[in-house]
Amino acid sequence: MSARGQVQLDGIVKKHGAFAALKGIDFEIKPGEFFALLGPSGSGKSTTLRILAGLDAPTSGRILVDGEDVTGADARERDVAMVFQSYALYPHMTVFENIAFPLEMAKRPKAEIGPAVREAAAKVKIEHLLDRKPGQLSGGQQQRCALARAIVRKARLFLLDEPLSNLDAKLRLETRVELKKLQRSLGVTAVYVTHDQEEAMTLADRMAVFMEGEIRQIGRPADVFAQPNSIEVAAFIGSPPMNLIPARYQDGSVLIGGRRLPTMLQTHGERDVVVGVRPSAVRFEADGIPATVEVVENLGDAAILDMSLAGTALRARYDRFPLPREGDAMGVTVRPEDIHLFDPVSRRRL
Amino acid sequence: MNKSAVAGVVAQGRRALHRRADPARIMEGRERRFAAALLAPAFLALMATTTFPLLFLIWTSFYRMNLSMPFMDGFAGLDNYRELLADPRFWQSLGVSLVYTASTVVLQVVIGLALAVLVHGMRRGQGLFRMVAILPVVLSPAVVGMVWRSFMLAPDFGVVDYLAVTAGLGSHNWLGDPTLALVSVIVIHTWQWTPFAFMVLLASLAALPDDIYEAARIDRASAWQSFRRITLPLLRPAIVMVIIMRTMVALTAFAAIFTVTGGGPGTATEILNLYAYRKSFTELSIGYGSALAVALLVFTLVVSGVLFALRRAK
Ligand SMILES: Nc1ncnc2c1ncn2[C@@H]1O[C@H](COP(=O)(O)OP(=O)(O)O)[C@@H](O)[C@H]1O
Ligand SMILES: [Mg+2]
Repeated sequence: MSARGQVQLDGIVKKHGAFAALKGIDFEIKPGEFFALLGPSGSGKSTTLRILAGLDAPTSGRILVDGEDVTGADARERDVAMVFQSYALYPHMTVFENIAFPLEMAKRPKAEIGPAVREAAAKVKIEHLLDRKPGQLSGGQQQRCALARAIVRKARLFLLDEPLSNLDAKLRLETRVELKKLQRSLGVTAVYVTHDQEEAMTLADRMAVFMEGEIRQIGRPADVFAQPNSIEVAAFIGSPPMNLIPARYQDGSVLIGGRRLPTMLQTHGERDVVVGVRPSAVRFEADGIPATVEVVENLGDAAILDMSLAGTALRARYDRFPLPREGDAMGVTVRPEDIHLFDPVSRRRL
Repeated sequence: MNKSAVAGVVAQGRRALHRRADPARIMEGRERRFAAALLAPAFLALMATTTFPLLFLIWTSFYRMNLSMPFMDGFAGLDNYRELLADPRFWQSLGVSLVYTASTVVLQVVIGLALAVLVHGMRRGQGLFRMVAILPVVLSPAVVGMVWRSFMLAPDFGVVDYLAVTAGLGSHNWLGDPTLALVSVIVIHTWQWTPFAFMVLLASLAALPDDIYEAARIDRASAWQSFRRITLPLLRPAIVMVIIMRTMVALTAFAAIFTVTGGGPGTATEILNLYAYRKSFTELSIGYGSALAVALLVFTLVVSGVLFALRRAK
């Protein structure tokens, strides 16, 4: 049973005419894993999920589920469950009938269906709504109904396409936690599409970062956050995004604002680099590099400072009070272990 | 503030409101009169062409009015209706009307729906189908009748007869045999009006969201199951609407049958509408013909009442 829900994608290419939506996608998901497909809008996440579900066929490449090649199989034959971004509830059926539908299609005996529907509804806390039609539900309730319909059949794969994106911010946070608990309690393999890096960071065991139809990096969220392998991934992961400053590298240090900042990279020679610094890694010291505060965005318990440092923009997180004021001069510095170095030409991590 | 003071303020406010509302009310009255003046000609024309003839029809149905025996004319009370209930030809024509209406409507909906589902599934060429489909609808039923009588159903050189002979079924007198004649007029009506059902249902199909069909595939519904459980229930309002509209038209069909068979052979294709026409204008028995027409009206009202009740149900 524990080996159920293993997924492997091999060189998946999807073309729409001359346009390649996917340019060769490879990854493997372990049984029971929560795997996120993260990337900006239009990067091919939904396309990948739909190909995995069997709703669309790839132009080339192979899909294996539990070691079995399902590339040519339709969605009906794949034993997957899916939550659509639009929820895709059947508008003429009640919540009960919606949740019961996959069981009826699987020809389960009537006596089994009622209890199974009620159990699934209870898991997402909508037992009291079973007689309503989707049109009489709020967005959050519709989303739960879609979840219940997906979990009721106990499919081997659980696919979710931006399931939280249509909810308001507060509900999104609540549901995120519940979703994680639900997946853990079911022990089912989940593939989760999102453009929200915070969602991927908090939910996923591992994630694949998509850009322009390619996977740029795969790994545990913490690892991707700590070691982004390219400028694009570095800029996408983290909020507010990483500062990326063109600079000169010289024998183990970078030159910024006329000062030398030591880095962890110790090679001889000189070259152009892009220095990456997370806003939270910027430290304030009186004898640091001089910078001017231009805008203060107060978040309540901290602030984001938009600063100008020798002509380049730098964003920093600041959590000491009182906050500096716009126009103030401050000294900033960065520890060697907080400096990410990238090649400006290949855009890869150095 | 005490109670009477409050009441005073309220009354004052109300008076102020009235003063302010008065000009608005005058404007409103003027507007209403203007609207009435604009509507009056159309309303009068409508009255003159529909309501008045209808009332006149009901009135004549209570009279003996026979143009070939004008000396017998006079008030007849319910005599025409008594005669009608005992008239086998009336019951026969009512039966033909029923068969004609039921079979043409069922055929139009079934074929129209099948075509709509088929064309909806096509990736290309939908526009062509829509254009071809509209052709029969825009033809006059009388023209359609003539075309079918002379080109399609004529023995020996009609297209249908030719096909029947080629298929080894032999030549038939399509409009001379009572059963074949009824089948023929049903086919002609279905041919002309199925495109209407097709177009309405295709438009309704196109308005259904795609994602629920993908959800149904994920839920492992077969193509037939998603048609039965999703498409049909969601199309129900459109289907019922088509049934209502087509039933009303089929019950009062006239031109196509009149030009193809004239109700014959004998009374094989004589629907109630045609019988009323023949009685009134061939046999010149206007009073009895009016009673037949009123019977058709009552029948049509009853059927539409039932259909509308069905529409509201569930
Ligand atoms: N049917 C289609 N025809 C043409 N282009 C498509 C089609 N479906 C998706 N695309 C394109 O493929 C790219 C990836 O889309 P998608 O997978 O939906 O992105 P996302 O990562 O936002 O989910 C987009 O640029 C989109 O415009
Ligand atoms: Mg998407």
